[in-house]
Amino acid sequence: MDKLLTGLKVIAGVVGVVFWAASQFWGILLVLLALGIHMVQNFSRMDREDAVKKLKDLGMSAFYPAVGILAAIVLGGLIMALTGYDPINAYKAMFYGGLVKNWHISLLNATPLIFTGLSIAVAFKAGLFNIGAEGQYYVGSMIATWLAIRFSLPLGLYILAIFILAGLAAAAYNIIPTWLKIRTGAHEVVTTMMFAHIATKYSTIFVRNNGGDPAVSKHAYVTDAIQEANELLPLKTIIPGANYRVHMGVLLALVTAIVIWYLLYKTKIGFEIRAVGANKTAARTQGINSGRAIMTAMLIAGFLCGISGTTQVLGLEHKMYENLNAGYGWNGISVALLAGNDPIGVIFAALLWGILDAGGQYMARTTQTPSAVVEIIKGIILFLILAKYLYFWFGHKLFKGRKKAAAGEAA
Amino acid sequence: MEFVIELLSATMRLATPIALAAMGAAVCERSGIVNIAMEGLMLIGAFFAAAVALATGSPWLGLLGGVIFGGLFSLLHAWSTVTLHINHTVSGAIINILAAGLTRFFMVEFYGHPGSSDMVQKTLGDLNCAVPLLSKIPLLGPVLFDQSPTVYFMYFFVLFTSFLLNRTKLGLHIRAAGEHPMALETLGISVKKIRYIGVLYSGLLCGFAGSFLAIEYGRFFTEGMTGGRGFIALAANVSGGWTAVGSFVAAIFFGFIDALQLKLQVMGIFKIPPEFFHMLPYAATVIAVAGLVRRSRPPADSGNDFSIEKEM
Amino acid sequence: MTESDAIVLETRNISKRFPRVLANNNINITLRKGEIISLLGENGAGKSTLMNVLYGLYRPTTGTILLNGEEVEFSSPRDAINRGMGMVHQHFMLVDPLTVTENIILGMEPGRRGVIDYKAARKEVKDLSDRYRLEIDPDSLVEDLPVGLQQRVEILKALYRKARILILDEPTAVLTPGEVEDLFKVIHRLRDSGVSVIIITHKLEEVRAISDRVYILRRGEIAGERRTSDCTKTDLANLMVGRDVVLTVSKDKHEAADKASFEIKNLNVINDRHVRVINDLSLSVRPGEIVGIAGVDGNGQTELAEAIMGQMVQESGEILFKGNPVQNLSTRARRDLGISYVPTDRQKAGLVLPFTIAENVILGSQDEAPFSKGLALQRKPIAEYSRKLVKDYDVRCASIDEEVSNLSGGNQQKVILAREFSREPDFLLVSQPTRGLDVGAIEYIHSQILKMREKNSAILLISLELEEIFSLADRILVLFEGKIVKEFDPSETNDKEVGLYMTGGN
Repeated sequence: MDKLLTGLKVIAGVVGVVFWAASQFWGILLVLLALGIHMVQNFSRMDREDAVKKLKDLGMSAFYPAVGILAAIVLGGLIMALTGYDPINAYKAMFYGGLVKNWHISLLNATPLIFTGLSIAVAFKAGLFNIGAEGQYYVGSMIATWLAIRFSLPLGLYILAIFILAGLAAAAYNIIPTWLKIRTGAHEVVTTMMFAHIATKYSTIFVRNNGGDPAVSKHAYVTDAIQEANELLPLKTIIPGANYRVHMGVLLALVTAIVIWYLLYKTKIGFEIRAVGANKTAARTQGINSGRAIMTAMLIAGFLCGISGTTQVLGLEHKMYENLNAGYGWNGISVALLAGNDPIGVIFAALLWGILDAGGQYMARTTQTPSAVVEIIKGIILFLILAKYLYFWFGHKLFKGRKKAAAGEAA
Repeated sequence: MEFVIELLSATMRLATPIALAAMGAAVCERSGIVNIAMEGLMLIGAFFAAAVALATGSPWLGLLGGVIFGGLFSLLHAWSTVTLHINHTVSGAIINILAAGLTRFFMVEFYGHPGSSDMVQKTLGDLNCAVPLLSKIPLLGPVLFDQSPTVYFMYFFVLFTSFLLNRTKLGLHIRAAGEHPMALETLGISVKKIRYIGVLYSGLLCGFAGSFLAIEYGRFFTEGMTGGRGFIALAANVSGGWTAVGSFVAAIFFGFIDALQLKLQVMGIFKIPPEFFHMLPYAATVIAVAGLVRRSRPPADSGNDFSIEKEM
Repeated sequence: MTESDAIVLETRNISKRFPRVLANNNINITLRKGEIISLLGENGAGKSTLMNVLYGLYRPTTGTILLNGEEVEFSSPRDAINRGMGMVHQHFMLVDPLTVTENIILGMEPGRRGVIDYKAARKEVKDLSDRYRLEIDPDSLVEDLPVGLQQRVEILKALYRKARILILDEPTAVLTPGEVEDLFKVIHRLRDSGVSVIIITHKLEEVRAISDRVYILRRGEIAGERRTSDCTKTDLANLMVGRDVVLTVSKDKHEAADKASFEIKNLNVINDRHVRVINDLSLSVRPGEIVGIAGVDGNGQTELAEAIMGQMVQESGEILFKGNPVQNLSTRARRDLGISYVPTDRQKAGLVLPFTIAENVILGSQDEAPFSKGLALQRKPIAEYSRKLVKDYDVRCASIDEEVSNLSGGNQQKVILAREFSREPDFLLVSQPTRGLDVGAIEYIHSQILKMREKNSAILLISLELEEIFSLADRILVLFEGKIVKEFDPSETNDKEVGLYMTGGN
């Protein structure tokens, strides 16, 4: 019986994920089914007390995000109402756009965010704040574009090489800030931020030199297109019915999240990274080379940003734009924070962001509500989810108020 | 000679937003709160300075608007770090993201489009006035005393911040709050209050710095116009050893690099894309932070959460 | 002092409940003018909670405080200070980079319109220190002062606020025997000028030496009240612990080997503030021997330990282990050779608090067989190993997957001992192994250390507690200003003599 359930779980999960990723929204139902089976299996193995405790924990961990998102939606609606928009219609459009009509755009938005969110999560686990992820994203994009414009080989081997080279270049871009951090204590928030600004400035030059020359090109702010052989396959080559724009990068992102989870929690490298991040002194006292762990984490972080940019160039854009600041690096920060730096959580956080963005655009088009409302909602969600103490605070105020009232009555 | 005066004069001007924000950082960090939200606070200040100046036609009111909104927005950082105990860096990052979103939202709300606002009719830069007598001193006169009012404000705030930290009761409390908050709390002074004040001070000055960018350095607001200056100010404060005067010197260094790259661009000696020049201040910041950070000691409790229950 | 002296402080049925514990339960104490009383109790008995209630840091859940017969309610320390309460915390509430004057006036600065009148402040501090004969340089930075003088600053701080009741929380914990005598003199002078003093302590000796009366606290309740003149040390100990205790650990004789397995020769260490913290230090430890390093905190203990473990850059000298120099090896390499280390601060240096017990137990050997194969950690061997250690070392926990942050101090220390001792090290460095633990845990940890001696480990014990050194060490080395100034055989000396050398007097 147990084996049968396990089999069912795996099949439902895989099929669900694949169709879901292939922009079939109902895929999520299968994924939820798989999760349900998984939980039932787990609980049937536990005794009552443990099961209750586990359920409580699960409830609590779902409580904050749920309340945060709900409250943010209410507050966002309030802002819209106050500024003269119709929040009901706007939200209708937003959710219809993000979840149903343009679900494939939500997916496409989420894909690079999964990589950058993972990048920031890994750095956080080592105790560093990779606030300059945007810069590494740019480096990856540039290398990938440069390579993909110039050369190509059959059999997709070259695509693999592009991924690796662009990832390595972006990883290398983190070496100096990390080395400075280890050697002098220069704060990575400042240094990686400065490196991010340098990379974005350079990207302008890069675009001009690769086709975007205003003197020659009709399209002044875009590089030449990459060679067709280097484009990532659309997902519909393996899953019929997928939206034609959705590409293999979506699956790659999901797989990467699982790989990073494995790396962090099931390998000695991840163990060392987490130990150093949680308590550097204790880790060093136990003979763990903290500098090496930090460097490893930051190289992985850079690599992830690099392949984020690569996926975007090879999969979706097929060229690089100047100043089209998509902000995947910056938004990756939100995604990682929202996910509590949990690699699997990053997938869902990135999806939420992707849905809000896609829905926001649809909302702006159909109801004339500014899509920047979405940015505010995002900020409020983040704030409410991170500020767990907020709930205690409100509870405390409420409780105190009641106690005072009671005291007043007694007197 | 002409060239040197121009270069140094531009240095002071470009150092102004960095120095103003760095003064805020000095007080904020000394009180124990790390403030990477300064970038966002400056952006908010810049937007409202431009908006108020556009609406009223007065650059002075614009400045006031920028300062007030910078201060108001900083209270969010204070609330989240001090009252809600969110990690300082995380809170700062969120506030930066929120600031970018808010200014974009307001752009669309007020002006119907994202990007840049309309031009203000009159900027603070147009109010340039030379100080009588002092501006006649050779070299130093024109460099230091033939500037716009904001630059003079900046001088004032450097002296004021230094005085505040070193000679006043509040300053002593601020320094104690950042080093050993429990010591302050056991003497009956609220660490939370002091830290709120520290953050608010940085918010007001960041609002000032943002106003400078929008209605003195430029004539309008552009999304993302702070260009990392909040972080550079943070770096100036670190390189300056968390003191007002040290931060000021560091800010002048960054101002000088910025002025230099502008001059070099104009002179056109080097035939390279202008973007390379734009990178110079960022590279200089990395070098300054890496080279100077070890020489000074940060406030012992800076960046740490404070709650009485946890300390006991 | 007579019974008729006015009662200045009285608590009536004070209780303080925290979310998980009842820290104080129905506490009733009285204090008279010019009286010195002690509050005696083990760690966790509720002494500090009670004092924090009296000082306005906590509000009592129930009960009232009376000052001079008048009911008072403190909503913050400021209220307590205004009512004449002063407190010297165990961990000093001093701001290190500020001057003595700035620390004393903090919160009550003289001056007008928010500007400090430093001249007046300095004069007031000077007057105060003259009046109570507590000499101090008002302009030196607190961080440059020795601990004894820092405590003096704390006392001055209270006197500056016109304290009539002074609470001292574990005042002798960081002092040398000489400094303790000075402190007692100061306390007597304060008493003579009409100040009432409450001393919180867990040291029986002190209670008898200084106080008129003693309250004994046990598990948050008053277990008894005695006049110090008519009770014995054993009485007090039994009241405090609630069972009969043996005051000295019995230690079997154990023959050490002839040849030292661990040696330090002419070690010099300079810290990152360019101060020579270890000065031409030499020592040796033989297998089966416990060498105790006695000394006042801040005389190079931390740096010595870090130099031995390879975490501090040393300037010169040799560290020999089994005859081979190890001073250029990494921490990891030294551990691999058979050096183990129990650090002073278990939460900062010993454990990764958000990690589970299992993860902490393999911390440092996470890349060795059988715990990992290739890159992957091996769940089964890790679980088996941790389960065994938890059982062997009697760690009280729900499971090996519990986070160590949930464990009590004693159990956290047991996790560290389990990890370090089970490696069967040939050299064991133990630094303040019982800091902040209760009597039961101390007994257990001492017995484990002696067990390691029986297994012929060479053991170097760094401790600030002379009692601990005397009950465990086979030889005592006194560390003063980064130098070994004297070697003693514990059977031929006493704590007075050792204490003298600890302060540099000889």
